[in-house]
Amino acid sequence: MAIIEVKDLVKEFVVVRKKTGLGNAIRSLVLPDKKIVRGVDGLSFNIEQGDIVGYIGPNGAGKSTTIKMLTGILYPTAGSIRVCGLSPHKERKAVVRQLGVVFGQRTQLYWDLRLGETFELLKRIYKIEDKRFKATLDMLNDVLRIQDFIDTPVRQLSLGQRMRGDLAASMIHDPTVLFLDEPTIGLDADAKHAIRGFIQTMNRERRMTVVLTTHDLDDVEQLCSRLLVVNHGRIVEDGPLDSIVGKLAPHRLLVIELSEDVQAPEHARAKIVRQDGLKVWYQFDKAAISASELIADLSGMLPIRDLSVQEPDIEDAIREVYRTTG
Amino acid sequence: MSDMRAYGYLIKMRVLTALAYRFDVWIGMIGDIILLAASVFIWKAAYGGDALGSGASIVGLDGMITYTVVSVLMTTVFSTGVQNTIYNQVREGNIALDFMRPLNLLGIYFSEDLGSMVSALVNKAIPLVIMASLLFGFPMPDSPTAAALFVASCVLSFMILWLMSAMVGLVAFWVAELGNLGMVKDAFIRVLSGSMVPLWFFPEGLQRISEWLPFQYTYQLPLSVYIGMTTPLDALRGMGIQLIWVALLGVLLAWIWTRARGKVMVQGG
Ligand SMILES: Nc1ncnc2c1ncn2[C@@H]1O[C@H](COP(=O)(O)OP(=O)(O)OP(=O)(O)O)[C@@H](O)[C@H]1O
Ligand SMILES: [Mg+2]
Repeated sequence: MAIIEVKDLVKEFVVVRKKTGLGNAIRSLVLPDKKIVRGVDGLSFNIEQGDIVGYIGPNGAGKSTTIKMLTGILYPTAGSIRVCGLSPHKERKAVVRQLGVVFGQRTQLYWDLRLGETFELLKRIYKIEDKRFKATLDMLNDVLRIQDFIDTPVRQLSLGQRMRGDLAASMIHDPTVLFLDEPTIGLDADAKHAIRGFIQTMNRERRMTVVLTTHDLDDVEQLCSRLLVVNHGRIVEDGPLDSIVGKLAPHRLLVIELSEDVQAPEHARAKIVRQDGLKVWYQFDKAAISASELIADLSGMLPIRDLSVQEPDIEDAIREVYRTTG
Repeated sequence: MSDMRAYGYLIKMRVLTALAYRFDVWIGMIGDIILLAASVFIWKAAYGGDALGSGASIVGLDGMITYTVVSVLMTTVFSTGVQNTIYNQVREGNIALDFMRPLNLLGIYFSEDLGSMVSALVNKAIPLVIMASLLFGFPMPDSPTAAALFVASCVLSFMILWLMSAMVGLVAFWVAELGNLGMVKDAFIRVLSGSMVPLWFFPEGLQRISEWLPFQYTYQLPLSVYIGMTTPLDALRGMGIQLIWVALLGVLLAWIWTRARGKVMVQGG
């Protein structure tokens, strides 16, 4: 049984269009101009236990809306959801007990109190025994180094510290599934690195399932075994990162720097896409020919001084998915 | 119900939060004292002339001063932040995080208000009583029985006020701009509860109508018990009516809650 099962999920929002002008404002008070917007439009997917899934898509694609339904906050307009075998909106309390959730733009920490106070509250909410609570805090401290600021009021924490606090808070009850909605937003390279390390550790040591929403493709590249790409509330790609990138941008580039100015020859399975002074760019399909074969072929024909192979750009590939489905 | 420890800790956290805002507390108290002094002086002036008509014969000036002092105390202690809490959490989208707790949302907000009450009792009520005693003499209850009945009645008063606040707060699920509805409700409470001017100074018709409304059972009932204007037997009868209101409003709130739950919109993110 998959840990998360989503079938034909739809969420509609009723938005009232506001018009300018006093007359229109009064008219819309009596007869509001309502429009239905589909935030999520027929999603189906399963997520297996122990996976780290990147849930990505352009702004307004429906990512946050999906997470809010999976966590039982929003009621779906249609379709069904099972998380740990339960319906999140019908059995919210039972489901959220097994979830850890971090919304990068918000904090569940109590602003005016020391960080540790939130942990004490969570200990009582989830009825965690003293011994286990201490062990979990120690473990979290090893990975997130929260001990340094556990007695600092939350409002005095830096964004990176606050995010580490929020991650720790979401893990204190040892959840089965962790939902992260843009956990690295606004963080520096160091803090991002720490958070990625944390996610990997939790996943490896506790077989924790992670659903991660992000616009940072480095997050995706370093963490996710599988990508779900949404656009306009629908799944448009589903699979490992390499295969999505490979499918959309199968080409690699071989860049050769020549030692003397000669006419570069064509190759049957590689195309010259650019030549600039002593530099030549060959584009080739990695399914058709390997880089080493191509280099072997060309080195017989050309005076090569230096060379490099360029992998397709993930950003470009993802942008291409957004563009073609947009 | 071992969730009780979680709710209990929420109360404690709210008390701790209030301590972090000591300065606010002192500023608020200055406001309370000014309000208190002004009300007492107005009553003194009113009783000096003959503007009050037959109402003045019901309770003497001393009783009225006690009534006013205790009324201001009740206002300071009763915390119904739930209305603004729901409004703000919905407006800012933070309601999403409240839903992540495996607890009852209204239970969370109730605990937080209880915490505010505990800290208000210590931080505000005690200094206010001392100040009032120095200025106007200690506001003595009519008898120990009256004092005990007053406390019991106050518990029910608070329930009525809290349930009404929670209901208005939940309207935020339908209407994102709630602001003024809360002000209208508060104005009704201020006038019809007798917290500023007891209803016996009001026209006969208004008094008849308000017997059928919950408002006078929030302030006027416990206050008139305290000053001995209501006999213990009538006090018990009044508390019966309070109980009925708590039950009615409780059922209504539960119904609105189930409707509101499906309407939840989370702004932003
Ligand atoms: N409360 C709401 N009322 C009306 N429309 C909404 C509401 N919440 C979301 N929407 C709409 O639903 C769509 C999906 O929004 P959602 O927040 O899920 O996007 P997202 O994928 O999380 O985007 P981002 O990357 O910008 O966070 C958007 O078109 C948005 O305008
Ligand atoms: Mg989002």
